[in-house]
Amino acid sequence: MKTVINEQSRRNFAAQVESMLHDKLAKCYQCGKCSAGCPVNFEMDYTPNQIIKMTELGMEDTVLNSKTIWLCVSCNTCSTRCPKGFEVTGIMDVLREIAEKKGVTSKVEKEVQMFHEVFLDNVKSNGRIFELELVGKYKLKTRHLFRDMFLAPKMLEKGKLKMHGEKIADLNQIAKIFKDFE
Amino acid sequence: MKLAYYPGCSLKGTSFEYEVSLLKILEAMNIEIKEIPDWNCCGASAAHSINHNLAIALPARNLAIAEKDGCESVLAPCAACSNRLKNADYELKNDDILKKKITDSLEMPYDSKMSINNMLEFLIGTVGKDKIKSMVKKPLSGLKVASYYGCLLVRPPKVMQFDDPENPVTMDELVALTGAEPVDYSFKTECCGAINSLSKPDVVMALTGNVLYDIKKHGADLVVVACPLCHSNLDVRQREIERKYDEKLGLPVLFITELLGLSFGIDPKDLAIDGHMVAADKVLKKIDQNI
Repeated sequence: MKTVINEQSRRNFAAQVESMLHDKLAKCYQCGKCSAGCPVNFEMDYTPNQIIKMTELGMEDTVLNSKTIWLCVSCNTCSTRCPKGFEVTGIMDVLREIAEKKGVTSKVEKEVQMFHEVFLDNVKSNGRIFELELVGKYKLKTRHLFRDMFLAPKMLEKGKLKMHGEKIADLNQIAKIFKDFE
Repeated sequence: MKLAYYPGCSLKGTSFEYEVSLLKILEAMNIEIKEIPDWNCCGASAAHSINHNLAIALPARNLAIAEKDGCESVLAPCAACSNRLKNADYELKNDDILKKKITDSLEMPYDSKMSINNMLEFLIGTVGKDKIKSMVKKPLSGLKVASYYGCLLVRPPKVMQFDDPENPVTMDELVALTGAEPVDYSFKTECCGAINSLSKPDVVMALTGNVLYDIKKHGADLVVVACPLCHSNLDVRQREIERKYDEKLGLPVLFITELLGLSFGIDPKDLAIDGHMVAADKVLKKIDQNI
């Protein structure tokens, strides 16, 4: 593993994360309680406590390209149990946001990232989620056209899949929110 | 007091059963709610995952509209929606700079005086145990019910301010009011995999499988939930989980509003119980045999 860390870039990255997180990385004393209770730890390449330490060490490329940040389901078990009250779930949000803004596309977990993007596009164009359109666009983007399709007939029969979405009246305000904060 | 109602997208789509049954029991109890005019999606997990400010601004619009509409309290039956509304409210209370940015963008003020309630808080706090108990016409005695809370109702505790984050009991108390027997088990607040249902189905099936098999092991007849995401994973994916692990589950998953409705003596069809993927016929038969 290549770990050449320039002190200035280490400081910059750690400071950027801390300012977005409103929390201090040094609070974490690596007890590992977050990782022990994490429901998706079995799929991760780095445990949550490793992500915290690597962020503190300025290993930007490694954390932004990790599977971990995209596998985290934000269940908040880690933050709830952290003996130091560190925002463990929060750091995953911050790292995903930095990755997204820098255009870092996850190589292995790109589908999770794509789902979030397609979801927000749907909110932007309708103001509300139109589930059928969301699933359709997500499938086209990921090319997993047939995965989960066996569920569709019964879901239609049960009335779970609506054929028409609702658009809100004040879409201009939604457009403004996206313009101001996207 | 005027009660605002924030249905959220799921209740108008895949989890329509939740809204149908909620409106039915409210009608039975004579409680009026008012849908927030022109509400928008709260951004759910997608927004906070990749854009913090958007994740606060989207729910803030709904809160500001409800406040303008003269409401002091809002009911958000979807656990994810109530979680996002509470998160937005918390941030707006604690971050003046962000609050100014957001209210400027919305061109609407927000006083942060709104009381935001998830389904369980609303039932226990606003409606009250006495009222619910007085409505029970058809006690569900002999029925073993596991309450599944998942993550978003109780965590993070500093923002949710609701029940115990590791061992919540509110839904079990509601179950007991119907005359059914609450089942104790280990996975009450373990995550079902939530939003990754479409993008990581294998992971979601492993997590949801853990929950369902533990419930089965503890002898429950059915599961109750107060979250559309939990419902989707536990109900819609259940057949697939049975196939994957080659072990039958056959656990109907009902919304808490449906269980209450049944104990009020409301027809299961009016509660949209036939809208679920796992049929609840056996459970309904058991209830009918009680009388």
